[in-house]
Amino acid sequence: MLILSRKAGESLVIDGRIHVKVVRVEGDTVKLGVLAPADVPVHRQEVYEEIQRSNQAALTRQSAVLPKLPLPGATPPAPVHHQTTKQL
Amino acid sequence: MTSVNAMEEMDTAERDRTSEPIGCADVRLPAGLLGFEHLKEYRLIARPGEAPFCWLQVKGHPSLAFVVIEPFHFLPDYQPDLPQPDVDFLGLHSPEDAAVYVIVTVSGPRRATANLKGPIVINRRTGLAKQVVIANAAQYSVAHPLPVSANAD
Repeated sequence: MLILSRKAGESLVIDGRIHVKVVRVEGDTVKLGVLAPADVPVHRQEVYEEIQRSNQAALTRQSAVLPKLPLPGATPPAPVHHQTTKQL
Repeated sequence: MTSVNAMEEMDTAERDRTSEPIGCADVRLPAGLLGFEHLKEYRLIARPGEAPFCWLQVKGHPSLAFVVIEPFHFLPDYQPDLPQPDVDFLGLHSPEDAAVYVIVTVSGPRRATANLKGPIVINRRTGLAKQVVIANAAQYSVAHPLPVSANAD
């Protein structure tokens, strides 16, 4: 593993297109800014690995029998008397 | 999204085992799913009697599929915060452009969980999609239990 020392405000450039900047150091936390092209996914490692494991567990190799999910939407929604909120 | 007939690529065994889809759309995930970066072309299929679940089936591999669901069916206040680079990548111009599905892990007829940290966001107009790691992932579980009914067969 390449190990480099950087001060706050200093950066690394990876492959000429990915910039990693040390924005701030607070105690044991380092805030990093990453500037990368849109096709380069950047993730926190633990979240990435958690989702990766979840995906692998979710892959089914055959059409499994699905559980039944009672749908609240199956019954007509209660009438709304007035609605003042703007819908986006 | 473009509606197409999924039956043309299903093999005979698949056709015998499943009912004809009631809805189907092509979905392109250029970045794949996390852990499945090499699988980029999918079909989103709704089958009779399985609502609100759908299948995200790997194109060309009909036996490889993920069960997905629109999270608003069981969690109406789910508010995934999509990072701006993902919004730009997907070409979303308004909230209505986006269809949001979450991947379901089915552990049996009485247990299923949904991954709320990494929803699949699809541009309804183009079919372009991405598994987005939401900015507020810390608020949500990767294995949110679904309220499946205990008397399921």
